[in-house]
Amino acid sequence: MEESEREGREKVSSLIDKATNSTDPEIETRLLKAIKLVVRSSDSELRLAVETLMEKMKKDHSQVRYLTLLIIDELFMRSKLFRSLLVVNFDQFLSLSIGFRRNLPLPAPLAVASRLRTKAIEYLEKWNTSFGIHYRQLRLGYGYLKDTLRFQFPNLQQHAARAQRDRNEREARSKEILLKKFETLRENFLSIKNEVQSTIDEIGECLEILKTEEDGFIPLDSVDDDDVEDFRPSALQKIRLESLNEGEKICEDSDNKVVFDALRELHKLLVNKHLVIVQEWMSVLVRVEATDTRFRDSSLKEFIDIRNRLRLVKTKCEQTGCSLTNPKDRDDDDMWEECKIDMVANGSCSAPNPPSENLVITSTLSKVKNITPVKIETSNGTTATEGFDGTTSVKSKLLAEAPIHNWGSYLDNWGNNRDFLANQRGLELENHWGRVDSDAVIPAERIAELNVQATLYKEEPVEVQPCLAPLKKGGLCQRKDLRVCPFHGPIIPRDPEGKAIDQGPTEEKTIDLEAGVTEQLAKRAVKNVREREREDLKQRENDKKNLKRAKLAKVREHNEKVLRQSAIASTSQSEVMGEDWASVGGNGSHGKEKKQTLASMLRKKVKPKDRITQKLLSARVRDATTRQLAMGADAKYREAYPNQW
Amino acid sequence: MWKKVGEREVGKISPYSFANRIRSNRISSLDLSNYKEIVSVHRGAINSLQVGDWAGPPVEVQMGGREGLEMSCMGEGCLVAGQVDLTEGRYLLSAASDGSAAVYDVQCAAKYEGGGLVAKHECLFVVDKQHEHGHKYSVSSAIWYPIDTGLFITGSYDHYVNVWDTNTTQVVVNFKMPGKVYQTAMSPIAKSHMLIAAGTEDVQVRLCDIASGAFTHTLSGHRDGVMTVEWSTSSEWVLATGGCDGAIRFWDIRRAGCFLVLDQSRSQLGKRPPFLERSSSKGSASKPFQAGQSSNVKVKIPLKKTTNGNSTKQTPNISRVPRQTKGWHRPHPGMMSSHDRATAHYGAVIGLKVTADGMYLLSAGSDSRLKLWDIESGCNTLVNYEATRLQTSKPIQLAITQDSSLVFLPCMTAIKAFNVWSGKTFRTFRGHYESVNCCWFSSQDQELYTGSNDRQILVWSPPKSVHREVDEKFGEGQMSTSDQDNWSD
Repeated sequence: MEESEREGREKVSSLIDKATNSTDPEIETRLLKAIKLVVRSSDSELRLAVETLMEKMKKDHSQVRYLTLLIIDELFMRSKLFRSLLVVNFDQFLSLSIGFRRNLPLPAPLAVASRLRTKAIEYLEKWNTSFGIHYRQLRLGYGYLKDTLRFQFPNLQQHAARAQRDRNEREARSKEILLKKFETLRENFLSIKNEVQSTIDEIGECLEILKTEEDGFIPLDSVDDDDVEDFRPSALQKIRLESLNEGEKICEDSDNKVVFDALRELHKLLVNKHLVIVQEWMSVLVRVEATDTRFRDSSLKEFIDIRNRLRLVKTKCEQTGCSLTNPKDRDDDDMWEECKIDMVANGSCSAPNPPSENLVITSTLSKVKNITPVKIETSNGTTATEGFDGTTSVKSKLLAEAPIHNWGSYLDNWGNNRDFLANQRGLELENHWGRVDSDAVIPAERIAELNVQATLYKEEPVEVQPCLAPLKKGGLCQRKDLRVCPFHGPIIPRDPEGKAIDQGPTEEKTIDLEAGVTEQLAKRAVKNVREREREDLKQRENDKKNLKRAKLAKVREHNEKVLRQSAIASTSQSEVMGEDWASVGGNGSHGKEKKQTLASMLRKKVKPKDRITQKLLSARVRDATTRQLAMGADAKYREAYPNQW
Repeated sequence: MWKKVGEREVGKISPYSFANRIRSNRISSLDLSNYKEIVSVHRGAINSLQVGDWAGPPVEVQMGGREGLEMSCMGEGCLVAGQVDLTEGRYLLSAASDGSAAVYDVQCAAKYEGGGLVAKHECLFVVDKQHEHGHKYSVSSAIWYPIDTGLFITGSYDHYVNVWDTNTTQVVVNFKMPGKVYQTAMSPIAKSHMLIAAGTEDVQVRLCDIASGAFTHTLSGHRDGVMTVEWSTSSEWVLATGGCDGAIRFWDIRRAGCFLVLDQSRSQLGKRPPFLERSSSKGSASKPFQAGQSSNVKVKIPLKKTTNGNSTKQTPNISRVPRQTKGWHRPHPGMMSSHDRATAHYGAVIGLKVTADGMYLLSAGSDSRLKLWDIESGCNTLVNYEATRLQTSKPIQLAITQDSSLVFLPCMTAIKAFNVWSGKTFRTFRGHYESVNCCWFSSQDQELYTGSNDRQILVWSPPKSVHREVDEKFGEGQMSTSDQDNWSD
């Protein structure tokens, strides 16, 4: 019983040991879970855990303290007994985790220490909000740090509350706005309705007029058709009917142009204004929480009606003529594309476009692929579609060979064959300097000459391969040199592990095909010799290292023996320690892998800056500099007063 | 506990010992109180605390007449005698270094928090720098008038001792001192005088008479400022003072000069009271002392001391033997200069406390030692209190339980409770974040109040009784659930 208990005890502390002996910023979840499980099993475990954790908090290493703090938080949020035990020495805990006592600052790795502090403050706040009411010590610690030392707490809860409040406020405001809108709607409802109604009526009238015009032709047409063709297959009949329908669609011409314009206007008004407005009001009505639900419902109903009517009218309009269907945005697209066609197809021919368009064209030139050259200005879809196929093929051909130019002011006069007046600027300032020939011209050739574009040679980007030689500390050398890496020799293709792929001969063969075989052989020989030398060197180094290691191991062994003997002589308990030492020593011998340890965190890293400062501030360099400065001053003096000795 | 109650009913246990047992039980379970909280209004270190629970049974008998007399002298309206009973042990007076003094009601809470879990005791009133007669600098000491809570006295670093009327919060009398006032004291058992003893930066201790508003005595003898003053609890004319020169002097205010200087090298092992039999022997010993408050008691002292002194080790630095026989026969001014120079502590004496029976004196020094003196013989009893560290710059205020079994001593950020007779550390109370300056033990409620540099006044109390907790279980409901184990896995 006792035995098992003791085992358990050791288990907790060893688990905590293991969890805190790491350089990660997090506790391993598996270990954490194990700790929780063990601690949960009995109260004595928990007591031991508290003790161990407090011991860990006293360690002179911020990383250990940080990890301990994480464990403490986990247990603190869960166990009541843990809380009541921790709280007894709470001031000590706080001074160790936050380091508010000036004579007890947080220990070494500075970055971790600051992280530890912020985390501890955060936890303290959390604990205080959730358990403060039950533990006076928590409240005291929190109050002391906040009111006396004026620590900045993250105030998470308050932030959340404030965000909530803000949200509520915003909602209330939007509700208010909705309500206001609703009120205005109640006032304006009739006028809106009337406006929409009037537009619909006008459209109806327009359509009516068109219809009547149409009616003039149709009977004649149909009669004519009926006369000529008596009977046909049904398919043909169908096609004919369709074409008839098509024909029924009223075409715009000079007679009904005014009506069409009006219709178009009205349609635009309908789509862009009324429909949108109605939708808006509907959404307002849906969202608003008005007291007068009756009015809301009725108006909503009416709006739905209006919308339906509007849609009906819209479809009717669209059926009338395809010209009306073009919405505004497509309009713009078409404009640009058309211009581009001009540009590309006509090449250098005259196209006096505004510069802004030029910009767009030149920039989007390569991007645009599908071109629908529909001319909107005339708004006759038929004319444009005719040349569709032909233009695309020509254009793509031209596109392929067209030069790409940067945009510039010269494009204003692109392909212009005119002479330019030289002295025509609108200002007559030049008259002060004598007579000016206002008719002087610059010939077109001259202008063309001036506008000749300089082309710059652009080097093709060469991707420099990284060296990729394997590094001692693992990973591959990422240095990018053109030919030779200063550390790993010539850059050669390597496999993913960094081993050289033996391509040397084949490569060289391709390169030195014309060069003599002798040269190649010489190169090989040199290379072989070099390799052997390198190997020898490596071998020697290894030997030296092994020797050293062996010597060290011998010394260590001796030390251990002595220590163990003395330990055995003194107590039985310290034998374990001796073994521990041995294991530590063992770790040290193959600790060459440079696994990051807690101790390594404390060591200061040597940065390039340090090296530079070391070099620059060394005594020799300083002396040399002062000497040089003195000499310089001397020389200056002698130059200034050459007659003095 | 119920068994004890039964025994008490049957008569197996005397009521006195029953009460004592319960009291000591409660004291042994003192801990930082979660349900009682004093909302400190001070913006500086708390220097002094006192609960007005001085009036013990013998004093109470005297009170009616006494009070009427004093009040009429002061020209203040009389209080109804019954009110004194109500106020007993109820009002906590605190003084802080921001020049403020405040009074708290420790019995009735101002408000409750957390569903009635935490009672917050807010201050009833505060007098600070804004007050027209308030102290300009740190108030170092605040004490209740020992008879009732109608008056209180504050001493401050601005050289003034003020006497305040509690009801109107106005200054009734003030005394200008020659230097910073470190501590003031009034005799808890005085029947024939009402003197405030004030220890100041000055070497002289002054006694201020509230009735006349003037200094009645100037006691000179200390060679440095006087940190602490303490009246005897057995004789109304005996005053003990501890100075920065490390001396503790006893004065009989009826005659000139001090009659006793405690010497740390004079010690007695034999007189140290046996551990458990103390209470009975003390009771018998204290009575004659209390009854016969005359000079012949003090004449006896030297005789006893010489016998005791001879039995203990002889100190090398003072050649005492010839002087003692000669010097102590002379009652006035009392002492040879060499003995006059004796010290009780190395460094300053920063705290004094007389036990309730008036036989022993506890002194704390800036040498971080706590010493127990036998007043009768003037010898160090050599009780070894476990090592502590005391703050050295300020006077500290010790507290002692009614039966003189425990002494509470502020040790830096903690308060340590020592067993008075064995010197063992009984408990360590941790909770303050900066040095603790003062503590006060309320023997009526068995509660400890402590004040510290971190501006907090903490209440240390025994846990709530069982039956009260049951009562509150209903009210707590969801509150208690939030402090439970919460294992997710």
